[in-house]
Amino acid sequence: MTRSTWTRRGFLGLSAAAAVAGTAACTGTGTAPSGGTAASSGPASNNLRLFTYEDDTTIGLLKDLVAKFDSQNGTTTRVDSLPGSGAAVYPDKLRAELLGGSGPDIWRIWGGQIGAPFAKAKQAMDLSPYYSKFGWDSRLNSNAIDGMTFDGVKAGAPFVANAIGGWYSKAAFSKAGISAPPKTYAELEEANTKLVAAGITPCTLGGKYGWDIMRLFEYLLETSAGPDLHDKLLTGAESWDRPEVVTAFTNFKKWQDSKWLPNGALGLDPSDVETDYVSGKAAYTLTGTWTEAAGIQAAKKSSSDFGTFLLPTDQTPARHSGFVEGYMISSKSGNPDKAAALIDHILQPDSQKALSITASTVTGAEPDKSKLPLSYEWSEISKTSPFYTIQDQAFPKKQADQYFSVQSDVLQGKMSPADAAKQMQTVAAGLPKS
Amino acid sequence: MATATAVAPATSRVAGVRQNKKRYGGLRPWLFALPALAVYATFLVYPAATSLFFSFTDWDGLSPTYNIVGLANYTAMAQDPVVIQALLNNLIWTVVTIVVPVLIGLTLAILLNGKVRGKTPLRLLFYTPCVLPLVSIASIWGWLYNPDSGVINETLRAVGLGDLAQPWLGQDSTALWAVMVPAIWLRVGFPMLLYLAALQGIPAELYEAATVDGASRSQQLWFITLPSLRQAHYIVIALSLIDSFKVFDMIYAMTYGGPGTATQVMGTWMYANVFQYYQAGYGTAIAVVITVIAIAVSIPYVLSQTKEHA
Repeated sequence: MTRSTWTRRGFLGLSAAAAVAGTAACTGTGTAPSGGTAASSGPASNNLRLFTYEDDTTIGLLKDLVAKFDSQNGTTTRVDSLPGSGAAVYPDKLRAELLGGSGPDIWRIWGGQIGAPFAKAKQAMDLSPYYSKFGWDSRLNSNAIDGMTFDGVKAGAPFVANAIGGWYSKAAFSKAGISAPPKTYAELEEANTKLVAAGITPCTLGGKYGWDIMRLFEYLLETSAGPDLHDKLLTGAESWDRPEVVTAFTNFKKWQDSKWLPNGALGLDPSDVETDYVSGKAAYTLTGTWTEAAGIQAAKKSSSDFGTFLLPTDQTPARHSGFVEGYMISSKSGNPDKAAALIDHILQPDSQKALSITASTVTGAEPDKSKLPLSYEWSEISKTSPFYTIQDQAFPKKQADQYFSVQSDVLQGKMSPADAAKQMQTVAAGLPKS
Repeated sequence: MATATAVAPATSRVAGVRQNKKRYGGLRPWLFALPALAVYATFLVYPAATSLFFSFTDWDGLSPTYNIVGLANYTAMAQDPVVIQALLNNLIWTVVTIVVPVLIGLTLAILLNGKVRGKTPLRLLFYTPCVLPLVSIASIWGWLYNPDSGVINETLRAVGLGDLAQPWLGQDSTALWAVMVPAIWLRVGFPMLLYLAALQGIPAELYEAATVDGASRSQQLWFITLPSLRQAHYIVIALSLIDSFKVFDMIYAMTYGGPGTATQVMGTWMYANVFQYYQAGYGTAIAVVITVIAIAVSIPYVLSQTKEHA
């Protein structure tokens, strides 16, 4: 064995060790629990970073608003956005940033079980002092505040309380001979049948991430179970293994088998299909008021060519699915006071209007009837129709994915509705007690 | 005498040190290796060791505190049906995405190594998918697979095979296979390139002699070409094997592990647990298992390379 031979072998050995370590690093988290400090670390830094998921239609408005705040307050705020995949990817990115030590000072997040982990892990600070300082309690919708209060801690400032309803193309309904939006579940089924007969896909939803097609199932569950039982099911207070749940799964399968959903809906990306009702490929979808600005008007279409309706549940009260979104402040922010002031700036009624927020929680920021007539309709509907928590915010992510998996199996005929109800009870049994 | 006995071992030690220094090169090689070692230790070894540690905890991935739970995460894996499914999917993925691209790559390399018109642009064409971003490939193929307007189903309908049109990514029975098709498409170029390089190293005299001896084309392929590519086979298969087992991005971008959990592999399931379910301890335990398997399959390759250079 010569010296040079040993050196090459040694080098190869070291390379192998490095490769092994590299493999481990690629498959591991590689982060420390402490996470580090926010990007704007340091005492009373005037550098802030805001992380959001605005899309191209609204990010410019937000940046303009933030720039105005910066010019008035001597701050420099960077706005980063990750649009596109809904609640499926954004929270992962946020979490990775927070643990990586370059987390934002302020971030937008959904309420319920999506925002809860950030509050419980104390990555988000308690905003109670700022609620008092800025009077948010009296200026914001109290139900929305509840949606961002976790274990009694007000960890977020909600600015959106979205409602999910039916959004349809008047041309498609007219072509199928439907004169008015359905008022009962039977009328909705009848409308679907007419649309299929007219060669139009009735309801466009995509099942790729689970949460979009879930909107249909939760509506069917509200219809079959009613408000009281539905709420108890979501908290695990009642068993899912019951006839009302079986009925909901049976109807769910019926929607696919009757071709009331797009062909192969389970594999479709929601962002690819949600606006199919605008482009004429489908008649309607189940979505929120953001679709008026981001879907209809962004496609240069007139709101008057479209309509919206409260999904008919045949129950009293007639409820709709809803969820809140708001802002949180990092507990490691270098300047939480300025961060809170920026949030307060965004929560001003004029700011909300400038941002084209179609379902604001802020008093005095209702959508402009002349510019957003359909969103305005929803602000009126919401006054009389209470909402139930959208199910991907009602369940922790793990249980929500198991729930999506059951829905997938039912639609593929791999699981009967009765077995699905039993399986859902197993999923619900795993819900955290809190 | 005593002096003599004391001096003798000392001399012997000095000689030993010199011999070792001569044999191992002293400190100098280590000094040269130090910058690289420091990088490895900081960015690879330390995070890997940290991951291993967290696999023995119940850390949620966000909170500042955690508990040591011993081997609980590893025993829980044995009872997790998704882990079993993910392992099976990894196995299917590994076999298919190694065998098919290697066979196609070898065939293309042999064809393109001869006198073929347009050889250079064809090589470029077949290699191009390798350099495309995976997310772009996933998006392109996602559109191709669209059940209603995708080119694949449209083509099937156009040629009268509409019955074969499927929601390729929307049903358990086809989803994993549908994702494997673009994976094969993008991976063909790599073995093709390596085989092309190896083919050009085979002496032309061997083929001339075989021709003189009356060997047919297939006999030349079987008795000259394939044995001469033995080393290339080894490299291609070993690297493809390691790469296949680490699959994550293509599945994440195309199906997100669905429908349900039909296309989950160990990488995506690890990601789901660490980043989405707030079960970082359990997720890192899955990562450790992936690592152990990847090491196990890479050992023969590393050993072979070490022997080759010895």
